[in-house]
Amino acid sequence: MKEIVIMSGKGGTGKTTITAAIGALAKEKAVVADCDVDAANLHLLFSPKNTEAHEFVSGKTAVINYDKCTDCGVCRQKCRFDAIDFINGKYVIDEVACEGCSVCHYLCPEKAIDMRDNTAGKWFISDSRFGSRFVHAKLGIGQENSGKLVGKVKAVAKEIAEKEKIPFIIVDGPPGIGCPVISAFSGATHILIVTEASESGFHDLKRLVELVEYFKVTASCIINKCDLNNEASGRIEKFCNNHNINVINKIKYQKVFYETLQQGKTLVESDDNNIKEKIEEIWNYLKNME
Amino acid sequence: MKIAISATGDNWQDFTDTRFGRAKGFFIIDTDTAETSYIDNASNLEAAHGAGTSTSQALISKGVEIVITETVGPKAGEVLKSGGVKVFEGAGKVTLKEAYENYKKGLLKEQEL
Repeated sequence: MKEIVIMSGKGGTGKTTITAAIGALAKEKAVVADCDVDAANLHLLFSPKNTEAHEFVSGKTAVINYDKCTDCGVCRQKCRFDAIDFINGKYVIDEVACEGCSVCHYLCPEKAIDMRDNTAGKWFISDSRFGSRFVHAKLGIGQENSGKLVGKVKAVAKEIAEKEKIPFIIVDGPPGIGCPVISAFSGATHILIVTEASESGFHDLKRLVELVEYFKVTASCIINKCDLNNEASGRIEKFCNNHNINVINKIKYQKVFYETLQQGKTLVESDDNNIKEKIEEIWNYLKNME
Repeated sequence: MKIAISATGDNWQDFTDTRFGRAKGFFIIDTDTAETSYIDNASNLEAAHGAGTSTSQALISKGVEIVITETVGPKAGEVLKSGGVKVFEGAGKVTLKEAYENYKKGLLKEQEL
């Protein structure tokens, strides 16, 4: 079983659009996992059916038990996140500011503060309209993606792939290089980087490549919108060559990207044979990779 | 000396866990006494953030000197290094017994932290 994780470093490079198109070609040969849960939108193109929903519990929030609280104020003094207000003669937890560190819970002399599990969002197992199994998640407002959620979505995808003997896992990875990205690297057999020909695209690509080298995973790269800045595109290509990263495709900036999105379709469902061929080349490369 | 293998169970026949920070648990081998034990890692597995660093801390406080796993991330690596722990990587998904044998045969590479 191969686990291909698609990453971009920078947001907005076309990573999800390309992931969706690859997923549409892979059909029942892949379990597709959407780990970009801050901006989960693969489901818009995959029209999931037969969805099975689960709650995602992550982190904790302090809750004051007013039967025990003696208004001593220790919690407010010790909270370094200023998450405890004093309103109308009583101490009140600001749930948005509370980081769930538990210091108030430990230090309250009356043991009046409990830590409650947060329901941070939901995760789902579905069937996509392309015949692939699809694992995705949705975070609540103000909740952030975490390595824990990425780990969960990937673990479920892996379980399905093992049980149903599906040869590929295609993961839409989170942007950046932080905790969720580290979690997405874990267990990956190949990283496909989708970057764009811009200064920020190149800058974030370099940070991502540092991680690729740290984890010693093989990687390949697609330069999207390569004609936005031909000079930057050239530099990206050279950089990739110097770091043993195969630039497997360069894609010009083109209307078909947003036209298909507006219609709720993937790139391979457009009438544009040129882009279809490019996506097929990419999928063939990934499919036949050692 | 204590050796920890990222593990999915507490028996030699159980499998390794390819994750480090979010491993299910750690199988500990004390090479001085030949005794084995198991640390449940659920609390770190469930952490929203910092799973790798807190797992590293837990292993160091148990006196572990060698870790056998698939790979550790950069921050976990820093913590382990500062605690004098060596990491042998590329264990793969095998039984704990096989992972330990592979380590003893010198088939696993020491990860540069």
